[in-house]
Amino acid sequence: MAEKERAGSGLEVNVEDLGDISLISLVGEVDVYTAPMLKDAINSLVERGRYHIVVDLGKVIFLDSTGLGVLVGGLKKVKSNQGELGIICNQERILRVFRITGLTKVFPVYRSREELPTKEREKQDAG
Amino acid sequence: MPDSPERCYELEIPAKAQYVSLARLLASSIARSMSFPEEDVDDLKVAVSEMCTNAIVHSGNGTAEKPPILVRYCAGRDYLRVQVSDRGPGFDIGCVLNRERTDLLEKGRGIPLIQCLVDEFQCDSQPGSGTVVTVVKYLRPRECQP
Repeated sequence: MAEKERAGSGLEVNVEDLGDISLISLVGEVDVYTAPMLKDAINSLVERGRYHIVVDLGKVIFLDSTGLGVLVGGLKKVKSNQGELGIICNQERILRVFRITGLTKVFPVYRSREELPTKEREKQDAG
Repeated sequence: MPDSPERCYELEIPAKAQYVSLARLLASSIARSMSFPEEDVDDLKVAVSEMCTNAIVHSGNGTAEKPPILVRYCAGRDYLRVQVSDRGPGFDIGCVLNRERTDLLEKGRGIPLIQCLVDEFQCDSQPGSGTVVTVVKYLRPRECQP
């Protein structure tokens, strides 16, 4: 299942289920204006009982602390349901913000979709 | 703060979230025209975004109609200074700067992030008056120590 949301806001949000993991793919900028779109996507997944979430930041060109705050909020929600929230990112400009704030110690960080946990990747490949 | 001569530009934006990207865009354009390395342009974009976001979120004394935010960019020979002014209620900056962060998941990442991304940071704010935040980034390599 894939849901795509686009607004004239500088951020595109795509949600798809890959086995036990739900993948949120972002394209564009995550700031105080667009972060609510990411928050809505995470909240919708949690409401559906999807507590294992990975956010793909591979095509994000900008992210500030508002975006980090939304990811942290999502992490707290899934953790309270024995879930996990990780990120996919190999861009130094984005990872730098995570590193400075210490959040690389908090989020599982995958460099690419190929690094997702093997069981889930097999499901992704099969899909 | 550095001496003149410098070229200054001013941008006044409504205190609304959709205008933060405009302030970022102008910061990056000026920084690139000054030949800042692309990593430093990225740092400036994040810093300006944080400053404008804070100004918008905290501006206006809680009223529906918030006064605009003024962003002033001053390009010197080897630096770019950006100043964001709001007419919000102000706050005790000491509470923010002196707070020890013990939980990575708690709020309040914005100002520490700005401080790490720029070479100079100054915040003038008092309860009851507006807030002026000024940052300076120099045109030379400088490693950030998180």
